[in-house]
Amino acid sequence: MKPWSALRAVVIAIYVFMLGPIVITAAVSFNQSNRSQFPPRGFSLQWWHRAFSAEWLDPLVFSLKLALLAALISTLLALPLAFALARHRFPGRAALTALTLGPLMLPALVTGVGLLQLFQYAGAREYIGFTALLVGHVVICLPFAVRTIAISLHTLPPNIELAAASLGASRAAALWHVVLPLIKTGIVAGAVFAFVHSFTDVNLSLFLVRPGEQPITVKILGFLEYGFAPTLAAVSVITLLVPLALVASVERVSGLGDFIYAARERG
Amino acid sequence: MARDHGVIGSAAPAAARQSERLPWLLVAAPLAVLLLFFALPNALLLSASVLKSEAQQLTNELTLENYSFLFTRPLYIWAFLRTFIVGISVGVIDVVLGYPLAYFLVRTRSRWKGLLIALALAPLLASVVVRTYGWYIILNRFGVANDLLLGLGLINERVAFMPSTGAIIVGLAHALLPYTVLTIMGSLQGINPNLELAAMSLGASRARTFFDVVLPLSFPGIAGGFILAFSIAISAYATPAILGGPATQVMATAIYGFMTQLLDWSIGAALAVILVVCAVALAYAAARLGARQGAL
Repeated sequence: MKPWSALRAVVIAIYVFMLGPIVITAAVSFNQSNRSQFPPRGFSLQWWHRAFSAEWLDPLVFSLKLALLAALISTLLALPLAFALARHRFPGRAALTALTLGPLMLPALVTGVGLLQLFQYAGAREYIGFTALLVGHVVICLPFAVRTIAISLHTLPPNIELAAASLGASRAAALWHVVLPLIKTGIVAGAVFAFVHSFTDVNLSLFLVRPGEQPITVKILGFLEYGFAPTLAAVSVITLLVPLALVASVERVSGLGDFIYAARERG
Repeated sequence: MARDHGVIGSAAPAAARQSERLPWLLVAAPLAVLLLFFALPNALLLSASVLKSEAQQLTNELTLENYSFLFTRPLYIWAFLRTFIVGISVGVIDVVLGYPLAYFLVRTRSRWKGLLIALALAPLLASVVVRTYGWYIILNRFGVANDLLLGLGLINERVAFMPSTGAIIVGLAHALLPYTVLTIMGSLQGINPNLELAAMSLGASRARTFFDVVLPLSFPGIAGGFILAFSIAISAYATPAILGGPATQVMATAIYGFMTQLLDWSIGAALAVILVVCAVALAYAAARLGARQGAL
C-alpha cells in the first residue's frame, strides 16, 4: 500500500512541525550559555533555578488562583444554564443560546477591551486587576463549561427523571441522586476545559492587568519585549506542564476524550 | 454517540418539556453575568466607537470620525490588509497540513492511535505565548534557523526572519493547527467507510475514491477548519506582538496600541467593532457552509 506509507511520511513531518518548537524550547532551557542556543551548549540548571524565583513564581501562582476560581465559578454558573438549555423549552431560548455561546464567537480580545471600558466608565477602576480578570475569565470560560455539560445531559435518556419519580423520588432527589452523578464526567470535563482556557488566555487578560496582578502569560509577553533569556524557556515549560499534569490526571480518573470535540472551537 | 451535533441548539426532549416559561430559577445568575459582563461591555464598545472622546471620557457627540480615521490612514489600511493576508494564509496552511493528519488519525489502525491523537492536541494545553516563544528561538537573528543554514553553508551571513509578516503566519499556523485537525477529524468521522468500499467495488481507484467521495463529503470540515483558523488568527495578539514589529501591525496589535499607548479609546473601540463584525460574518459563513455541525 504505497499511498498509505507516503501519507505516513507526511504525517511524521507534520508532527515534527507541531512538536519541534516545543521540544526546542524545552532543550534550550538547559543551556549553559545565556543565549537561547539549540542544540544547547553544555548543561546547566541555572535558568530553572531562576524560573523558580519570586519574579516568575508570583505570576504563576496568580494564574493558578485565577484559573481555579474561574473554572469553579463558571462551572457553577454553567450547570443550571446547561440544564435549562438542554431540558427546557421556553420563549427566548434561542436568544439565550446565542448569548451563552457569544463569548466563544466574539474575539476574547474584544471582550477584554469592552470590560476595560466598562470598569473605567463605571468608575470602578480600582477593580482592574484580579477582580476584573476573574470576571472576564468567568465569561470566556462559561461557554466551554455549558457546552460540555449540555453534551453529557443529552446522553441521558430523557425520561430518567420520570423513572426516578415513579419510584417515589422528589424532583430534587432525582436531580441529586440520579442526574448529577450521571453527568459528573461532563461537569469535571467542563471545569478542566475552563481551567485550561483561563490558564492559557492572553488576549483578554492583556487589557485588565495592573502591576503585581498579572497572569503568567501576560508577564512572559511583557518580558519578551525587553529581550529573552533561557529563563523564559524554563518558565514556558513549567506553564505547559501545569495544564498537562491536570489533564493527564483527570483523564486517568474519568476520561475527557468524549468531550474533546466540545473544545474544538476557540481554545 | 453524543457528539455536539446540535447539543445546545437542538429541540429539548419531549419528556422534559415541563416548563413553557423561562426557567428563571435556573438561568437568573448566569444570565445576569452574561448581560452585565458580556453584552453590556460590547454594547458600550459599539456606542464608544460612534462617540467623540476627550481624555478617556466620552462626550455625547455622535461621530463617524473614528471609523473614517481608520479607513483613511495608510498605516491602518495596511493593518487591515495584513490581518486578512495573515488570516487567509493561516487558514490555507492549516487545512493543507491538517487534512492529511486528520485523515491519518481517523483511519489508522495503529495501536498508538490514542497517543497520536493526544500528541496532536497537546499543543493546545500550552498558551499561544509559550508556543510562539518557540518560534522566537528558531527564527531570531541568532536563532536555530540561522545557525542551521549557516552551518549547512546555505547562507553566508545571518538573515532577519523576523519581525515579518511571514513569521507571524508561520507562528499562527503552528498555534492553530490542532483546531483545524479537530474540525476535519469531526467531519471525516461522520463519513461511512462503506461508501469508500462501495466506490472501490465499482472499480474506482484509491485516488479516485478519495477525490470523488471522501474529499467532497468532508468539505464542511475543510470549510469549518479554514474559517475557525482564519477567525482566531485575525484576532490574535500574542503571535503578531512577538514575531512582528512596529512595521507589521495587525488589527489586534493596533487595538492594543490605541488602548494602552495612544489612549484613544474611541478609535480602539471602532477597531474592536470592526473585528466583531468580521467574527460574526465568518461565523455566519461557517453556518451557511454547514461547517459548524450544529454547534451553534
